[in-house]
Amino acid sequence: MQLLDVRNLTIELRTSETIIRAVDKVSFSLKEGEVHALVGESGSGKSLIAKAIVGVLNERWNITADRMHWRGVDLMRLTPEQRRKTVSQDIAMIYQDPSRCLDPTAKMFDQIAETLPENPTKGFFLKRNRERKDRVKALIHKVGIKNHEAVLDSYPHELSEGVCQKVMIAMAIARTPKLLIADEPTTALESTTRAQVFRLLKSLNQLKNMSILMISHELEEIAHWSHGIHVLYCGQMVEAGPTHKIFSQPRHPYTQALLKSLPDYEQGLAHKEPFYALKGTIPTLQHLPIGCRLGPRCPQAQKACVVTPKLTKHNGHSYACHFPLIKDMR
Amino acid sequence: MILDYILRRLGLLLFMTLMLSVFTFSISYLFPGDPLSNLSGVPSSNFAQHSELEDKYLYNSNYFVQYIAFLGRIFQGDWGLSFASGDNVFSHIVDLLPATLELSVYALIISIVVGVPAGILGSAYYKRWPDKLINSTTMVGYSMPVFWLALLLIMVFSLKLGWFPMSGRMGLLYEIPANTGFILIDIALAGFPYKGMAFLDALRHLTLPTIVLAMYPTTVLVRFTRESMLKVMDQSFIKTARAKGLNRRQLIIHHALRNALLPVIKQIGLQFSTLITLAMITEVIFSWPGIGRWLIDSIYQRDYPAIQGGLMAVSLFVILATIIAELTYTLFDPLSRNQAHGKV
Repeated sequence: MQLLDVRNLTIELRTSETIIRAVDKVSFSLKEGEVHALVGESGSGKSLIAKAIVGVLNERWNITADRMHWRGVDLMRLTPEQRRKTVSQDIAMIYQDPSRCLDPTAKMFDQIAETLPENPTKGFFLKRNRERKDRVKALIHKVGIKNHEAVLDSYPHELSEGVCQKVMIAMAIARTPKLLIADEPTTALESTTRAQVFRLLKSLNQLKNMSILMISHELEEIAHWSHGIHVLYCGQMVEAGPTHKIFSQPRHPYTQALLKSLPDYEQGLAHKEPFYALKGTIPTLQHLPIGCRLGPRCPQAQKACVVTPKLTKHNGHSYACHFPLIKDMR
Repeated sequence: MILDYILRRLGLLLFMTLMLSVFTFSISYLFPGDPLSNLSGVPSSNFAQHSELEDKYLYNSNYFVQYIAFLGRIFQGDWGLSFASGDNVFSHIVDLLPATLELSVYALIISIVVGVPAGILGSAYYKRWPDKLINSTTMVGYSMPVFWLALLLIMVFSLKLGWFPMSGRMGLLYEIPANTGFILIDIALAGFPYKGMAFLDALRHLTLPTIVLAMYPTTVLVRFTRESMLKVMDQSFIKTARAKGLNRRQLIIHHALRNALLPVIKQIGLQFSTLITLAMITEVIFSWPGIGRWLIDSIYQRDYPAIQGGLMAVSLFVILATIIAELTYTLFDPLSRNQAHGKV
């Protein structure tokens, strides 16, 4: 069943002079139980897409989409109140900046406890209270925090960014959502807990059939267990498709460059060997090139690239390029 | 940790009081006239009296010893005699300060009770008609000079409509023994037959001065609360909490209010000094027997010991109020609780 279906999502920022199109006609869909990844450099609009789905963007951002269906219901057409109910029931998000997304004046326990779904079991006040405490404790153990008493009794500013991140994850999985949007969930974590978090997400996906939309720029981490990858560049979807196809036969020069930039540890790296990287940097939103936004940096660019390429679809693998790397295919 | 903070605050209080006392002490030497009579409040005297005063005030010792003696007298309650009345300045202050405090406290309570909810309402209906109404009303109240507002209210409500008395604290019919100095409490304590009537009369006398005095802090609080609320509601943790599934009411009560009202507490403390200043003007206009009117009268009469004492009492009070507000703010705000090093 199609869980999330987004067509031509466009996110614009109105400034006093012009309208900046930060995300340009991005389409993707997600089936139940699938893990998808949105990858791209920072500034490519990954987080914006996630926030637009959850509906937490400021009023400055103008969001338009041909459709944004959540299990057959168009989110764009709901009233804010209905939308909040639908989203909070089924979708949870792990945010990128945990310490800013937690209330600075509330203790961790209260913040986690209020995300718990209403307890159906009736009972005495004290009993219910104890149950809440146990559930919060269980959640916090699940995300790998061992000293629960100290953590639950502290304010966000007293904890490290990593612990805050874990608390955010605990809050996100508290309601066992159908879709979990994870916006770079492991940036602030050390590598052991990072592996732990990925294991947790994987098991949630496999055991509870939870769909996950991962936003990340770490390709290796998600390559093994994601079903599909969407590559974004500067707010444009450049390539999307099943993970194995993206890895084995990238059609877009940008995807190829991304894959090439991964250090290959099997071959061994020479001392101070430079990584492969595209020349130049990602353009700022005020100075976007016309046509294909990769144009100025693309090794394959030709005259035709000043026209925005259409998305070509082939066996569930789509790419937006005038000169796809078909010759590389074996 | 918190004890440490309180100790630091008390240290600050001590230091500021010290500075204040040094200033007050030096005033009697800087004022025109004989420092000895400025200190004691005894005007020109004969030789025997003069030498007696010189002995008492250690006038022939150095300034430091004189200052120590001055501190000792302050603690004993011997603040000198008023030129105008010939009575002890300290007893004047004890009589008059409660009246001012009563007025200020009621005005502050009214401004909190009215201002904070109005500000929250304004932010909840941001850019819709309730917000516009509240905003324009506060703009008018904010820009209106206190003395003018007082005169207008007297004209309308006392002279035209005759609803409220024009001046004073109490009708002449009632004789209230001053126990605490707070008139409403005194009436409650007095226990005489016409208690209810006296209470009503006192309230009627209080109404106009309280409204006048409350006007400025109320408008400041409305605007401040509204701004603070809007700022907090725009922050990402509010958006996160909303996406978590909290409804508007839960959101405001659990997350927005606490964060938005913290700076408001600080603002209330800061309003206190403005309030005392405005109270002086209000007292003069409404002939309210408070310390402000007395202080202004003393300035006109060049009653130096009275100016000195009044200044000291009022400033001490403002410092105390500021520090108490600061302490409350710190008790409520987990973020500033850790910053033990104080700032004023």
